[in-house]
Amino acid sequence: MANAPAGGITPTHDTGTRATQVFGTLAALGVAWLCAFGLLFSPADRDQRESVRIMYVHVPSAWVAYLAFGVTAVASALYLLRSSHSLTWDRLAGASAEIGVLFMGVTLVTGMLWGRLSWGVFWTWDARLTSTAFLFVTFLGYLAVRRLGGTQHQRAKRSAVLAMLGVLEIPLVHFSVRLWRSLHQDATVARIEGDPDLDGLMLFSLFVGLIAFTLLYVWLVIHRQRALVLEDALEAHGLDAALVERRAEAALQGGGR
Amino acid sequence: MDLTPRTSDEVAGAPSSRRRWIPLLALALIVVAGGVLVTRFLTSAVDYYCNVDEIGVRSGCDEGRSLRVQGTVEAGSVSTERGVTAFTMAFNEEELPVRYNGVPGGIFDECIPVVVHGSIERGVLQGTRVEVKHSSEYVDENEERLDDAVERSGARRCSPQA
Repeated sequence: MANAPAGGITPTHDTGTRATQVFGTLAALGVAWLCAFGLLFSPADRDQRESVRIMYVHVPSAWVAYLAFGVTAVASALYLLRSSHSLTWDRLAGASAEIGVLFMGVTLVTGMLWGRLSWGVFWTWDARLTSTAFLFVTFLGYLAVRRLGGTQHQRAKRSAVLAMLGVLEIPLVHFSVRLWRSLHQDATVARIEGDPDLDGLMLFSLFVGLIAFTLLYVWLVIHRQRALVLEDALEAHGLDAALVERRAEAALQGGGR
Repeated sequence: MDLTPRTSDEVAGAPSSRRRWIPLLALALIVVAGGVLVTRFLTSAVDYYCNVDEIGVRSGCDEGRSLRVQGTVEAGSVSTERGVTAFTMAFNEEELPVRYNGVPGGIFDECIPVVVHGSIERGVLQGTRVEVKHSSEYVDENEERLDDAVERSGARRCSPQA
């Protein structure tokens, strides 16, 4: 993921390092492993037949989206609470939110496809689906707030507050199927009652998906966070250039008097 | 980013960049979308259905109004004639006959919980939409052989589902 020179800035490095190469390789292996177990080795479900295989993408995507939004909130809190107000935390929050929105979108799309096959409808306004859509819209709004303009610290403060509020929706989404009656089934793995009610190989395939998607998330966030460092540097470079230009302009006007 | 040096008149007027309105507009649209979602959420999603045994008992589950009713499709009750699917759904030993003008989609079958949209007329739920409510149980398809064997012996029953 190298960056081309832009705006007169020549990057001295790209976003890839030995660590990201390792994470990228592990993520690719994990996804290949998931394909093997999800499509070949795990059995079809008694009721849902082959459509159950959507679960191996749907559930890990949702998990990664929760994780990403959680990381966004924690990084936002660290930005606000630490006296240094380091923009590194803000960039980590922004990068994680972008990846989270991507995975939440995957969750919604795969959920709709799975719903059509098992429920008979793509969408219905039940508690789980509605709250998930609302979480998705909230973090889309977070990404919009990050682009409202102002200084980098203004951006960081505004978006940090929103992230810390938005993350509160996650427990609501997760427990919505217990708080209210819903067409969506109860939690299969993260349940209070005890062991998952899932065939052994299906459960294993699901965990393969969780590991693969988590590695993919880490790889994407590292790259995106480093890309945001370069974007901020580019913006600062543009500001410096403008200041130099205006000082030159003022000097010219002063000299002309 | 417009970095063209400004004149003193431009500085006094301080007009906002046109590009600044784009994210504001996007934010406004997202807020409106969120509002629509919340509205639908409050009116439609809290407690998505009434169970069969709550008809006429629980508030909001009265006959003669538009309802969403949940129950398990009784074994041996499904029939289709002239495009109309009829079956009986049950919950907590209470039963409710259903007529649906069409063929239900999804994994509709006997012993599967469903949510039927419609209204009750003369003791029959006239369905306008049938949604299948899958449980959180996932079982290897091969275990179905045991079910089939039980069914052939004439002893098939619907096991309780959430």
